[in-house]
Amino acid sequence: MHEVGVAQRMVEIALAAAAESGGGKIVSLRLLLGTLTCVDPATLAFAFTVAARGTPAEGARLDVEPRELLTACSCGAHGGDVVRGRELRLDTLDLEEPLSTGSTP
Amino acid sequence: MTTEVTLAQDVLHDNARDAEANRARFRAAGVYVLNLMSAPGAGKTTLLERTVEALKGKLRLAVITGDIATTRDADRLAAHGARVVQLNTGGACHIEAHQIEQAARPFALDALDLLLIENIGNLVCPAEFDLGEHDKVMIYSCTEGHDKPAKYPLMFKEAKALLLNKIDLLPYTNFDVDAALADARALNPAVEVFQLSATQGTGFGAWLGWLENRVAARRS
Repeated sequence: MHEVGVAQRMVEIALAAAAESGGGKIVSLRLLLGTLTCVDPATLAFAFTVAARGTPAEGARLDVEPRELLTACSCGAHGGDVVRGRELRLDTLDLEEPLSTGSTP
Repeated sequence: MTTEVTLAQDVLHDNARDAEANRARFRAAGVYVLNLMSAPGAGKTTLLERTVEALKGKLRLAVITGDIATTRDADRLAAHGARVVQLNTGGACHIEAHQIEQAARPFALDALDLLLIENIGNLVCPAEFDLGEHDKVMIYSCTEGHDKPAKYPLMFKEAKALLLNKIDLLPYTNFDVDAALADARALNPAVEVFQLSATQGTGFGAWLGWLENRVAARRS
């Protein structure tokens, strides 16, 4: 239900990282999305499209990698501590422009 | 040609940072903080009214009550003599940590034993946002149906205690207590369960005892 806020934060993070890497258009963005989070991928994709409008992330492809729930319990149920499945984590982005040579951040 | 840039950033990083700051502040002040979450209409405010009334004179407590709009909950709780701040999110489906930092400003935290946060009525989003509380408590009313743990696993998984409310209405529903609690415990084997009725006061002794123990453990 808070996908719009999540999408806005994603665009902010992506734009800041792109600017730090020399700028350029963002082609794609990879997100790790745990199945235990309360974020709906389709709603997020739509919110991202809107949030990216008018920015270097406009039109960027959002690749969502689902992270299935894994808990630290061997009992077969989901009672243990969450090892994986709560991620809402930006992994990488692809920039259209190559890094300008000679300037290392 | 494209260039890959590593981000490795949690999208909710800002909230996690604010929550840690809150937690440090609460710890330094020695105040025990609970985040109460439930669906709308599960009985959070009624439960808080009875809790505040019962703890009057025993614990120094304050309440931050969150709603999308209105000060109705704050008015109800203030009528019981509670120090209360109403937080209006203006449409947002959950409370975030920075809002708690602001809402708690009027309170002298080191003069409090217990701070109760009544989250927005919503089974989905509040579970995702750490506020810096010590424990999360979920209120789950039997009129909601016994399928909710399976449908909304995150909140049931995050809860330290589960308050099964409105048990006085059980005879009028087809709610299966055993099935609901089995599903909740499959997600969260350590969860403390209290069956109670906030309107009738049934089962309140055990809940209040647990709460007072948690506060005492924080103080020592």
